[in-house]
Parts: sequence; structure tokens; C-alpha cells
Amino acid sequence: MGAGAVGARLARQLVSTDAVESVVVREERTSRLDAVAQSLGGSALADQAPYADPVDADVVVLAGPAGSHVSQARAFMERNQHVVSVSDELADVRGLLDLDIEARERRLSVVVGAGFCPGLTDVLAAHAASRVDEVDEVHVAKAGTGGPACARQHHRALGHMAHDWRDGGWVQRPPGSGRELCWFPDPIGAQDCYRAALPDARLLVPAFPSVARVTARVAATRRDRLTAGLPMLWPTHPEGGPGAVRVEVRGSRGAARDVVVYGAIDRPAVAAGAVSAVAALWAVEGRLRRVGAGGLAELVEPGPFLGELVRRGVRTAVFQGDAAPVA
Amino acid sequence: MIRKALAALAIAGLVAAVLRMRGTGGTPPQEGGWRELSGPELS
Repeated sequence: MGAGAVGARLARQLVSTDAVESVVVREERTSRLDAVAQSLGGSALADQAPYADPVDADVVVLAGPAGSHVSQARAFMERNQHVVSVSDELADVRGLLDLDIEARERRLSVVVGAGFCPGLTDVLAAHAASRVDEVDEVHVAKAGTGGPACARQHHRALGHMAHDWRDGGWVQRPPGSGRELCWFPDPIGAQDCYRAALPDARLLVPAFPSVARVTARVAATRRDRLTAGLPMLWPTHPEGGPGAVRVEVRGSRGAARDVVVYGAIDRPAVAAGAVSAVAALWAVEGRLRRVGAGGLAELVEPGPFLGELVRRGVRTAVFQGDAAPVA
Repeated sequence: MIRKALAALAIAGLVAAVLRMRGTGGTPPQEGGWRELSGPELS
């Protein structure tokens, strides 16, 4: 559902997968649908029906505009179809997570936040957590945006309160506060990152019951912060530029404290397309850890999932210092 | 006045020396970098 920057890449990933019999690309904008259908070379079925209309499919990936994913997910669940959402809007993520009980009763999977950030970041966090005995803190940061819809969501997020997890409770923080210099894989490098209305903590906290702090930040310029409360004043790049994510997990291993830092660099829309495609395939194949609604940190075995993403061209990295864990 | 300034400097130096001797923060990484994940790290 949706053939924007992410939806088009997702469709390309799916049509190139042997296990997929057919792909239906649904998009309400005629010109965009034609362009994507043409680029896929006739290997996908183009469909201009409204997003929530019935479709004959085992799994439905919601890659349309943020803000409507909950009602669409509910509609497809009622037709006994697995759902994968790439939305990075906080309200969408909270609403989709609330579908957990219904999804469990129906024995369906609702994969929430299956994009670049959240999505790839959740898998990296789960993978990093497997290297420590106990997770105390998870800190996520992202730089860059996918297509125009992602850029608009990035802009909106900088204008609304951030939700951090701290010592067993939710804490709201002003957007644009908490500046932190985050080092992403090259060539993105160091970027000033700030709090914003990001859904990452909502998805990560259920995956790590012992975690005391979870935060998420986004790279932003002075102009981004200054104009966050205004409508977007300039056009966005149709495909976005290169982006990066960074996940820092702090915890304990034996008696020692340890920090594991993973990152990835890619065009956000390309990586999000790969993540959502693999999530959709795993949902159909029954490879998710459980049924119900949840983020990828909860639902997937991170090593094999990352291996599949690497096979599809997503580059992930670990940051290595030279110091031993601190006793 | 000069005696007070010298005393303050001495106390600050003493406190700094104690903290440096007793600090247990470890040594932060002095070098390193990003390395691509591969092979057994992805299983």
C-alpha cells in the first residue's frame, strides 16, 4: 500500500524474491503508480483502489502516508491478513501496538515500524543486546530521510514532544533539546542529534524488560530546529540522500560494564524497503518469534535477519574502540 | 588576598590529584572505528 520512495523499493525487493508468487502495488496517485509499475517491468500488478480496500494477499505492507496505518491494519486483520507497517509516526506506532491482543487472538502478525529507523535500528539493538548479559540502556540516533513523506515526518517530529523511557516510566522532553554529537558510519560522520517525537523507545522497551533508559534522537540543522513549528517551507528531494543510523546498547557482561555500538549507512528508503520486504516474507513463512503486534526487536532473530539484509545490499557495521570493558 | 588565592589553588590541585589517583572511570577508546559486520557475526 503506497508506492512512494519506500513502497517502490519494497516492491522491487519482493518481485526479485523467488518465494513471492505475485505482488500488488496499490497507489492512489496515477502518475506515480504508472512510473513504479513501468520500472518494475510488468512483474507487479498495479492497482489504484483506496488503500484500505480488500486485496488478495497473504501479507499487506503499509507504506502509504503516515497517520492512517492503524485503521488500515485493523481492516486487513479483519480479513485475516498479516500486516507490516513502515510508519515512523508515534501515534501510528502506539495505535498499532494496541492491536496486539486482537492480532494474537487471530494468530496474525502485525510488524510495527519495519523501516530504517525504527526497523533496522530495532534489529541492530536486538543484535547488540545479544552481546551483553543484561541491557541497561539503549540509545538510537538517525541521520537523513527517505522520500518526501519521510522528510515531512522528520519535520513534524522535531515539533512535538519526545518520549523517553527512564527508570521504569515515560518522560516527555521538549523537541530539539538534548543535543548530542553522534558519530555515524562514514561518510555521514559526526552529526548533532536532538530529541523529537520518535517512536523508537515505544518499540524497544517491550523487547528489553530490564532496560532503564531508552532514548532516540534525530540529526537536525539549526534551520530544521528553528522552523520545526512551521509548515515545510521548501520542497524535499524526491528520493532523499544517504542516511545512517546508530544504536548504542549499554549493559553488563559478567561483572564488567560494556557498550556495543552498531550502525548502518544506506539511502533510508532503500534500506526501509529491504527491511519491510524481509519482515513481510518472515511473517508469511512463520519465522517471527511470536504472533501479535510488536517491533522487530521483539519479533525476529536478529542475526539471521541482518544476514538476509546484508545479502540484499544493506551495509551494517560495528564500532570498535581499543579499550577493554570497564570492571 | 594573595595568600587566599594560593590556598585556593593548592586545595584545587590537591582535590584534582586525589580524583586522578582514585578515579575508576577507565580509559575511553583512543582509537578504533567502524568495521562492517560479516560472516559469523550475522548468524
